Amino acid sequence: MPVSLRDIRFLVHDVFDFAGHYAGLGQRPGSGGAPVEAPDRAFIDAVIDEAHRFAEQELAPLMRSGDEQGCRLEDGRVITPDGFKEAYATYIAGGWAGLNGDPAYGGQGLPDSMSLFLEDLMSCANVAWTMYPGLSRGVLTALDAHGSREQKQAFMPKLLSGEWTGTMCLTEPHAGSDVGLAKTRAEPRADGVWAITGTKIFISAGEHDLAANILHLVLARVPDAPAGTRGISMFVVPRVNLDGSRNGVVCGSIEHKMGLHGNATCVLHFEEATGYLVGEANRGMRYMFTMMNAARLVVGLQGYTLAHAAFLKSAAYSRERLQMRALSGPVAPDKPADPIIVHPDVRRMLLTQRAIAEGGRALVYYAGQVADRALRGSDDERPGAHELLDFLTPIVKAVLTELAFESVNHAVQIHGGHGYIRETGIEQYVRDARITLIYEGTTQIQALDLLGRKILQTQGKGFTTFLGEVRVLADRIATPLPDLAAALGHIETEWGTLTLALGGRAMIDVDEVGAASVDYLFYSGYAALAYCWARMAEQAIAGDPDDPFLAGKLATARFYFQRMWPRAQSHKTALEAGAASLMAVSAAALTDL
Amino acid sequence: MLQYQSPEQDFAFLLFNLFDVETEWGDIPAFADFGEDLVRAVVQEGGKLAAGVLAPLNQSGDQQGCRWEAGEVRTPDGFKAAFGQLAEGGWLGLSGNPAYGGQGMPKLLGCLLEEMFWSGNSSLYLYGTLTVGAAICIEAHASEAQKALYLPPLYAGTWAAAMALTEAHAGSDLGIMRTRAEPNADGSYAITGTKIFITSGEHDLTENIVHLVLARLPDAPAGSRGISLFIAPKFLPDADGRPGLRNAFASGSIEHKMGIHGSATSVMNYDGATGFLLGEPHQGLAAMFTMMNYERLSVGLQGLGAGELAYQQAVRYARERRQGRSATGPADRSAEADPLMAHADVRRMLLTIRALTEGGRAFAMLVGTQLDRGRYLDDAHAQALSELLTPIAKAFLTDRGFECAVLAQQVFGGHGFVREWGVEQIVRDTRIAQIYEGTNGIQAMDLIGRKVLRDGGRTLGYLIERMRATPVPAALQDRLDDAIDRLERVTGALRDRSGDDPDLAGAVATDYLDLAGYTLYAWLWAWMAHVAPADAFGDAKRQCADFYFSRLLPRTLALEASVLADQRSIMAVTADSF
Repeated sequence: MPVSLRDIRFLVHDVFDFAGHYAGLGQRPGSGGAPVEAPDRAFIDAVIDEAHRFAEQELAPLMRSGDEQGCRLEDGRVITPDGFKEAYATYIAGGWAGLNGDPAYGGQGLPDSMSLFLEDLMSCANVAWTMYPGLSRGVLTALDAHGSREQKQAFMPKLLSGEWTGTMCLTEPHAGSDVGLAKTRAEPRADGVWAITGTKIFISAGEHDLAANILHLVLARVPDAPAGTRGISMFVVPRVNLDGSRNGVVCGSIEHKMGLHGNATCVLHFEEATGYLVGEANRGMRYMFTMMNAARLVVGLQGYTLAHAAFLKSAAYSRERLQMRALSGPVAPDKPADPIIVHPDVRRMLLTQRAIAEGGRALVYYAGQVADRALRGSDDERPGAHELLDFLTPIVKAVLTELAFESVNHAVQIHGGHGYIRETGIEQYVRDARITLIYEGTTQIQALDLLGRKILQTQGKGFTTFLGEVRVLADRIATPLPDLAAALGHIETEWGTLTLALGGRAMIDVDEVGAASVDYLFYSGYAALAYCWARMAEQAIAGDPDDPFLAGKLATARFYFQRMWPRAQSHKTALEAGAASLMAVSAAALTDL
Repeated sequence: MLQYQSPEQDFAFLLFNLFDVETEWGDIPAFADFGEDLVRAVVQEGGKLAAGVLAPLNQSGDQQGCRWEAGEVRTPDGFKAAFGQLAEGGWLGLSGNPAYGGQGMPKLLGCLLEEMFWSGNSSLYLYGTLTVGAAICIEAHASEAQKALYLPPLYAGTWAAAMALTEAHAGSDLGIMRTRAEPNADGSYAITGTKIFITSGEHDLTENIVHLVLARLPDAPAGSRGISLFIAPKFLPDADGRPGLRNAFASGSIEHKMGIHGSATSVMNYDGATGFLLGEPHQGLAAMFTMMNYERLSVGLQGLGAGELAYQQAVRYARERRQGRSATGPADRSAEADPLMAHADVRRMLLTIRALTEGGRAFAMLVGTQLDRGRYLDDAHAQALSELLTPIAKAFLTDRGFECAVLAQQVFGGHGFVREWGVEQIVRDTRIAQIYEGTNGIQAMDLIGRKVLRDGGRTLGYLIERMRATPVPAALQDRLDDAIDRLERVTGALRDRSGDDPDLAGAVATDYLDLAGYTLYAWLWAWMAHVAPADAFGDAKRQCADFYFSRLLPRTLALEASVLADQRSIMAVTADSF
């Protein structure tokens, strides 16, 4: 399967020293389970190797067949593509479902970031399959943070064993980005038990044949709830009732989509379905936010894993495919033409892909450590880590998926006409990746979250912390990498100034926030990736100069700063132009042809 | 998919205000008949065909696709009748020579019509554009007898055509192709070999399909200098020029593709097929390039048509779909949410699509004017300019068209990812335009190497002179001057440096092409803003120009920095470190 274990280990051990990081973490908060020992290097390696074996043997062979076959709906039941069910049984048997779950409910209690390594390998192999178990995370996080003891006891062991899976039911036909418009209602039945009625759409893994039961996390309104997001409550609704009777949840249809055919996207009708209120009524949106960070990091992960897999395929193709001669003279004179990797424009695309994929992985692993500290750090550490994580999350989600889409399109381009036909499996990456820019909050929603909520509403505390890290790194690499250090120093100053100026303008005209948001998000994303590439370069230059992997890392880092970072300047200039040119045109003028 | 409608208002503005066709065509006698009334009528009729005949089959054609059965290809339901209407209306012979049944219409006008046909149904129009391209090649290089035999049915659309270039191991590099042509006793040739990715190679739309096949003669030199071009009709014409004996080639299979499902892409097996030499031996690639230049502009128009279609979908959805409230307070208190259009970033996406599409349309028409002047006035400047602009038209229009389709999909959110709305189809259908007829990387190399550096930047210099001489609004003048200066500065730097480093041009080619494209659009937007009328349409044009300069032209900053950066990292990496 297309994955570079070398890249994963380089980040895990050399760049981010996860074993050292784990040694500094405390136990999972609030768990009544037995203490769990911090994973050491050998243990981490063993998990990565096992996860790789599972992904390669069970999931990778189903990627293309799953796309070709797709899911089908028969008598209200979704039949997943051949082999998906068996792979899931192997997943459960391997104990993967409970990797980072609470030991009090059957989990293994490992730090949350350990599951990123597993998700990384599974997503490289088959992102459509990986979403079935992946969606359990939302329910687990919600129950963990806000569920009652009874709810935890009833549901968490089933999720952590993998016998059941979860979903997140937010979207309704008229309520997508604007969740506050949701109309699904909840009527009280007995203490803590409610009857849920309404229709949810675009529910990933909303119905399938992998597990015995599905727990739907549903947003709905209780009677007399205030309008908008303040009147949203959160419920857990099992597909099959706990006593084994049928609940009022019906899968009405599944969507025919551009990609991700192996994962069923369902319309779910709730017909007085039995649901259990999570936490307090009317606080559902607030709870959703606590779950968003993890879910959004994983979508960012999906982005870079698709980019990574597609990069490795195009790199392999570039070494095999013979077309034309190198501009500097034949490289393979015994062959009819040179491999296309000799052509600079092909290399430009390959290096861009590599910069996106490996930079993205570094950013997600970095954020994973921050998330660990936000959960298990010391009392002093946790609030700051939380702010930093809140700041990084929209960048990870939106920028990594946007750049991943660019990257997978480079893969198609490198394959030429062969990239456009289904047989080679390359165009599937484009079709699969496209949704990552949309679900879990579109790029535009992330951009508003970053600039509106994370920068302007909180005085940019997480941002300030990250800028501090950029400064520390710039100082640290000044001697071995003066060029990168200078660029980072410039970024630190410019990013801070830009943000301050934007804050000032937003106070005068609120439309400035929306008008600048996506360009600001991209600027920040390129800056965060610059930080990640400088950290990787720092380790690469300290290693064996004859090691091709490390030499490639260093060259990609330089390529990133020389050829990709300049894009940030365009975003900066565009956002500095302000909102006027966006808001001046009348809606009629836009529509009139 | 929401109903497509032809952008007639913008067409009229470009024809009569910007390019002022009556003056533009005043010195071309062949265009004497094309007065304003006729032009408007032609555009209107073309729009009806695109919206009323082609567009209704776009989504159904995608869902049904083509079927291959024992060498025969069945196109989707309705395609045959619709192609018949395209043919009967004379739309395939638009720019063709009237001596052989063509309409002799200006290319400038052809650009608008083609754009609409692409918007309406890119799979279906592909059958047409290949027919037109082949006719151009035949007209330029074939013998008188061949022209008389093949051009009338091609212009009439009773026959269609295909170009057979690519082989499994020879895509961008046609020089290594292997298909051979052995002379027969009667002066014809026996062609043997396998070609892949042959668009329209086999179908059920017409009574005959004329293949233009590249192959090697027995004594051919190696590489691209040993390739000849042959005409190989599916049915050999009899003495009356009617389809006669079945030729010895067939479709081996059709590809399952990401998009353009209604267009049949065949593997073609030539098994001693009868072919007739077109033009001189070993000059096949050069002859093929005549056709390629036409096809490249046409494929650029595919990207443009996709952008227009995407815009129409997105803008209507943004007016109807209600989510969230405007940042400045509710825009419509009577409803529970405001239209998407109230959100600044949705507007940014819509205006991006619009600015790129309308700028692209002006650009395509500019290329059309130069092609017309080159062809009808033997204007060497115009000829050189059209050659300079062709790779930009192919690559930049398709790259931006794809960007526009993806942005439209984003406006639709999750609804953009499901098939029902048809927006994801625009993305899938447009993706191929960046690849076929020479990948956009090949276009970028063509631009920088053959079209800019080879003549020391002289042709580009003419264009820049013209850009500088165009009157533009004072508010845009400085920024336009900066943009043109930037293009000149970067071009000069590359001219100075590329002599020492053979890899430099390749390393920066794509970014350079984009830089040229955005600079040209800036000029065209400033020019449009200058001539835009003093009414609501003109106001929208000027506002869109302002948006382009404020929000899109800054992309050139990154491109300049990227082109002028130290390029050593690109070639430094060893192949095995990837």
